Amino acid sequence: MARQVYQAVVDGILVGGVYALMAVGLTLIFGVLDIINIAQGVLVILGAYLSYVLSVRLHIDLFVGLAITVPAMFVIGVVLQWAFIRRLRGRERTAMTLLVTYAAALIIEGSLYEAFGPDYKQLSAPYVTSSVHVLGFYLPYIYLYGFALAVVIIAGIYALLYRTRFGRSVRATTQDETAARLIGIDTSRVATLTFGIGVAVTAVGGMMFGATNSFNPNSGYDLISRLLAIIILGGLGSIGGALAASVFMLTLESVVDIWSPQWAIAVFYAALVVVLVVRPTGFFGRAPARAQ
Amino acid sequence: MTGPGTAARPVLTIDNLVAGYGGGDVLRGVHLDVAEGGITCVVGPNGAGKSTLMAAISGLLRPRLGSIMLAGENLAGRSPRQILRLGVVHVPQNHSLFRDMTVTENIELGGYTLADRATRARRMAAVFEVFPQIAGWARQKAGSLSGGQQRLVEFARALMLEPRLLLLDEPSMGLAPRVLRDVFGAIRQMNQAGTTILLVEQNARAGLRLSSHGVVMENGQVRLSGSGREVLENPEIGALYLGGAV
Repeated sequence: MARQVYQAVVDGILVGGVYALMAVGLTLIFGVLDIINIAQGVLVILGAYLSYVLSVRLHIDLFVGLAITVPAMFVIGVVLQWAFIRRLRGRERTAMTLLVTYAAALIIEGSLYEAFGPDYKQLSAPYVTSSVHVLGFYLPYIYLYGFALAVVIIAGIYALLYRTRFGRSVRATTQDETAARLIGIDTSRVATLTFGIGVAVTAVGGMMFGATNSFNPNSGYDLISRLLAIIILGGLGSIGGALAASVFMLTLESVVDIWSPQWAIAVFYAALVVVLVVRPTGFFGRAPARAQ
Repeated sequence: MTGPGTAARPVLTIDNLVAGYGGGDVLRGVHLDVAEGGITCVVGPNGAGKSTLMAAISGLLRPRLGSIMLAGENLAGRSPRQILRLGVVHVPQNHSLFRDMTVTENIELGGYTLADRATRARRMAAVFEVFPQIAGWARQKAGSLSGGQQRLVEFARALMLEPRLLLLDEPSMGLAPRVLRDVFGAIRQMNQAGTTILLVEQNARAGLRLSSHGVVMENGQVRLSGSGREVLENPEIGALYLGGAV
């Protein structure tokens, strides 16, 4: 039994890395634009389909294909933000962005149904089905690669945020948009590029999701509810929090799954409730600034 | 008394400015000159339009009518970034530091629009000379500072661009009385160093005492303007806005 639990913990950590890849974009977008992008789940699935097309029709390796899908998803994100979200202002903005991003999700989902039909697909490659045996644990290559990629991408985003001028403008906009405008930051540009980056990351998450799960155009909805739970638990806007919460939630689910697969999903959301009761801002969330 | 009451040439001239939020106008035809090299203090009751005036000058709010002329350039309709480049820096009413960044990072960001790294470094050094006490907090997170300390860092950040005109919106707001002296001292210090200041101040007496010029706003219009002393000593204004005769 102990061996089973250890294996479940290792599995949970590795799968958590994959979810972190999907959640990071969502929390980054929330941090800067103060909106929940409901389309993020469907965009992950779109990323999976783009990888599918490159892999099946053009025989491009899943990881090599990211060189095409990441920029493509960046452009899609920029267009979404520029065309729809940028225009929303005023008191109803948050509610309206939920509706607009939900509408975007429906349009993307409908287009995917039109192009690929309702049948489930899964990405395939030699490393998707093989694993390595280390210290008695079976470690699937795809999860190892995915986890490594998650660490690299999250480190890259950290470097972008904390080591570049653009990153400083993103952090400033996140903390106080009006003050950022008053020191000369073009906050509209920051919002557009950040949305693009947040969506670009879903190309990687989508490829990993598609390689480890079967998917159809409808798969985005289950995904968005899980991703929302993760970013709330991690602390809205916190990238490190998204990684920590992904690993925590998926490890917990994986361990509970040994005894009861039915309860595993319930525990995923129950953990969210319990943590929020104790710490309402999540793992790394910051309490709202005191009114001056 | 309706004229600006100043011999100095104006650095900023506002003419028939109308601006507001949603369907209503808050500013209803404001006429105002800000004298170069002085401190002009705007006082008035809540809702008079003082902060709206600041937002319209700095580009946070787009005016509906009128002009805001700064050395021959009309600021009306320009973005905050463009207005900043013309030399107008706005320190808003609420604390505006980036709480999770250090004091040094905050001050550096004041020079965000300066492309040249050497210029930024030179300006940083100059700012720390003006406010040497800030050096002691340089590595602290801005959110950990007291209200008065945050105000001084906001001033320091504003000085990074060597502004032609500095807009200070209620800098004493929320500060303990013992801190006010430091904040007003810093305002005087910046002015003596050559910065023209347009000050909105709820602590009207203290603001007007500090200022070379005073302006009283009411219902989105300038009701009275003159020297700081004239406004301070005006019996009607004293009764209405300054808590009785001086």
